[in-house]
Amino acid sequence: MELFFHYLSQSYLLTGIIYTLLITALGLGGGLVMGVVLAGMQLSRFPVLALITRAYAIIFRGTPLILQMIFCYNALPMIGVKLTAVEAAGLALALNEAPFIAEIIRGNIIAVDRGQVIAGQALGMTPDVVMLRVVAPQAIRSMVPALGNEAVSALKNSSLASVVSVQELTLRSTQLASANFDFFSIFFASGLMYLALTGAIAAIQIVVEVLLDLDLPTPEARLARLLPWRRRTVEIVYAKAPRLAAPDLPALAAPPLSAPAPARAGFSIDREKRLATLADRPLAVEISALRKSYDGKTVLESIDLVVRVGEVVALLGPSGSGKSTLLRCINHLETWDSGAIKVTGRELGFDAQNRPLSPRAIANERAAIGVGMVFQNFNLFGHLTAKENIAGPLRWVHGFSRSDADLRARELLDRVGLANRAEALPRHMSGGQQQRVAIARALAPNPTILLLDEPTSALDPELVSEVLEVIGRLAVEDGLTMIISTHQISFAKDVADRAVFLDAGSIVEEGPADVVLSRPRNARTAQFLQILTDEAVARA
Amino acid sequence: MKSVQIRHAVLGKAWLGICVAVQIAAAAVGVSMILSPAPAAAKTPEACAALQAKYPSLKGKTLVNAVNPHTPGYEALDPNDPSKYVGFDIDLGEAIGDCLGFKVTYKPVTFAALLTTLEAGQADIVISDIYATKQRAKAADFITYLKVYDGVLVAKGNPKKIDGINLSMCGATAAENTGFVEVPLVQALEEKCKAAGKPAPGIQLYDNNANCIQAILSGRADTYVNDVNTVDGAVKAYPDKLEKATAVTLPYSVGIAVPRNKTEFRDAVFAALAEIQKSGLQAELMKKWNLPVDQMEAPKLVLAD
Repeated sequence: MELFFHYLSQSYLLTGIIYTLLITALGLGGGLVMGVVLAGMQLSRFPVLALITRAYAIIFRGTPLILQMIFCYNALPMIGVKLTAVEAAGLALALNEAPFIAEIIRGNIIAVDRGQVIAGQALGMTPDVVMLRVVAPQAIRSMVPALGNEAVSALKNSSLASVVSVQELTLRSTQLASANFDFFSIFFASGLMYLALTGAIAAIQIVVEVLLDLDLPTPEARLARLLPWRRRTVEIVYAKAPRLAAPDLPALAAPPLSAPAPARAGFSIDREKRLATLADRPLAVEISALRKSYDGKTVLESIDLVVRVGEVVALLGPSGSGKSTLLRCINHLETWDSGAIKVTGRELGFDAQNRPLSPRAIANERAAIGVGMVFQNFNLFGHLTAKENIAGPLRWVHGFSRSDADLRARELLDRVGLANRAEALPRHMSGGQQQRVAIARALAPNPTILLLDEPTSALDPELVSEVLEVIGRLAVEDGLTMIISTHQISFAKDVADRAVFLDAGSIVEEGPADVVLSRPRNARTAQFLQILTDEAVARA
Repeated sequence: MKSVQIRHAVLGKAWLGICVAVQIAAAAVGVSMILSPAPAAAKTPEACAALQAKYPSLKGKTLVNAVNPHTPGYEALDPNDPSKYVGFDIDLGEAIGDCLGFKVTYKPVTFAALLTTLEAGQADIVISDIYATKQRAKAADFITYLKVYDGVLVAKGNPKKIDGINLSMCGATAAENTGFVEVPLVQALEEKCKAAGKPAPGIQLYDNNANCIQAILSGRADTYVNDVNTVDGAVKAYPDKLEKATAVTLPYSVGIAVPRNKTEFRDAVFAALAEIQKSGLQAELMKKWNLPVDQMEAPKLVLAD
């Protein structure tokens, strides 16, 4: 026992720890850099890069680290690369860690909700900004545990550097044991040293996780999580909070929607007069002979559609009729086979020679022209508060200052009735609230056109009306140009100037909303409207 | 008593920054990596001055000696000051360095990696109780300096009655290091044992001396055949648990390995070793490390055919 403590404090072994940490740091640091590059290559648009990455992973994940160490140390000199033992061991560990870290990075990037990426694109973010502001912050949070594992494994693997004569802890322990035959005390001491090192990594991991935990926004809450005996008090605070907040939630205050939304007084407008003014307005969207197919299956066929500034168009049709695809084509989130789409007179996504632009250039054009989009599944950025969901894109895409962006965000949250939820995370809000934030986010840069893709379809029935209310006001009060795909017939009748009915990728009927929706001429339209009406009656 | 420092040659210029950081950290835990220079050898033969004049390119250099420092008596850490390697081989290398005017640093590797390290250019010389065989001469040139006497290490009381590398080993398990010359000798017993109607001997391969000794202590192996002085050292460390069954002679010599393509360096080491023996320095060092002086052997080259 006395010997054990002697070795624990022996500077010879303690110095070995420094080499152990040095090799680990080189391996992890190098592995992280290479891992980022490899993950980027594998996720890139170019198949050759992905292939190279695969081959690299097969070789370096498929061979033992000890061989890689010996290779870097003894074989590289034969081609003129003579590394020192520490360099060779660090290089080998980095080469070995890289494919593992690359897979951790890639897996966590893929796991970030695809809808948020599309929402970022729709807001005019370039691919770099989407990666930096939307994907990376969420991926990094979720990869911390796996990276912690990897760090522990790298630390233990650094002991293999002993085979290439690096004076690290394991090598020093074995040499010492050979000299004085005092195996057990020495190995227990070095084992305890390794435990202390891996324990330190585990502690760092916990601290990092707590610092990145979005549910612990204040320093007090983070401290409480790190000190388990204080956790109880926090739980009580958590338990109380929702109960106090509940009566204030507008979602619960809104009357349940059991029948088709009743006509609201605010929306009653002089249709004839409105149609007359719209007829003189310039064109906001001009779609001609649009055609698109997926794997040989036609999704859109000879679509011609004109939307004037200030006009509200309801896009109706059964699921799979091409409504969403059409909306996505308008802001070039989707490509198409033939035909043209002009938004405020410009062809979005093509240069003067009609060649498709890079994703980056398309993003900039989207931001410049101003096409906002609201999605069925809200697609709010999960790591940002309601306010940041709105203010963030204003800063990153439109160059707003922080204070200007915050001011605008608060103003819009106030408009959608969520001023009191500014600091809430999306996952702490109801679907209706999330969709209202999403609408505010789309409106923030003052778009010329707003595309709404089934904005109420993912909502519980009692939450539909609060969202429709907001959209209705946009049409009436702001005179915003909107194209809405929806199944809310009575809402469409109230708010839309024109209804367009899509079936199997083609427009089968279009005309003034109240006419098409009340007295459809096309048999498919009539059948579809009948089904929706029956369902509404059944629900009532 | 001559002590030798370990100068860590592992950190190159490229790592200057890291190196500085390591130094600082090392100092913080109470260790200075660079120790005071080694004191000059007890006496450097007179003729060495002439050799330094003949081989001026070595003067002032620092050469790397690859060792498997798990063999107390030949090369191991100094238990009292683990920042140093000590042993007969270490002293001999320092004496050669002093004679030719170069300094020596050490690179600890497994036994099997001694010659590959030399071949890869990661070391300049190997003085680590390695037997100069024709087979190994394919990887390096050898200059011999000791005759080989092997001892047969067994558990106290020699329960398997092993008395050499012979039929007494049939059915027993021998611990050896990867790359040891004893390995093929034990393997060759397989046919003889079978012919005698006995089970073949088993072999466990380890990568250092200490692991082989542990294999006997833990009962995993029955015997370990290696240099007699090493075996004696093990018995001295565990007098209640181990004993030397017998000593055997092997038709080999212990040699200094140098790279195959560097004949001038080989000639210089050869000449220096001859002077060290002539002056009586080698005998003096052997006495210091309790090696029987009659084990000394005049230098001769062992080269590949």
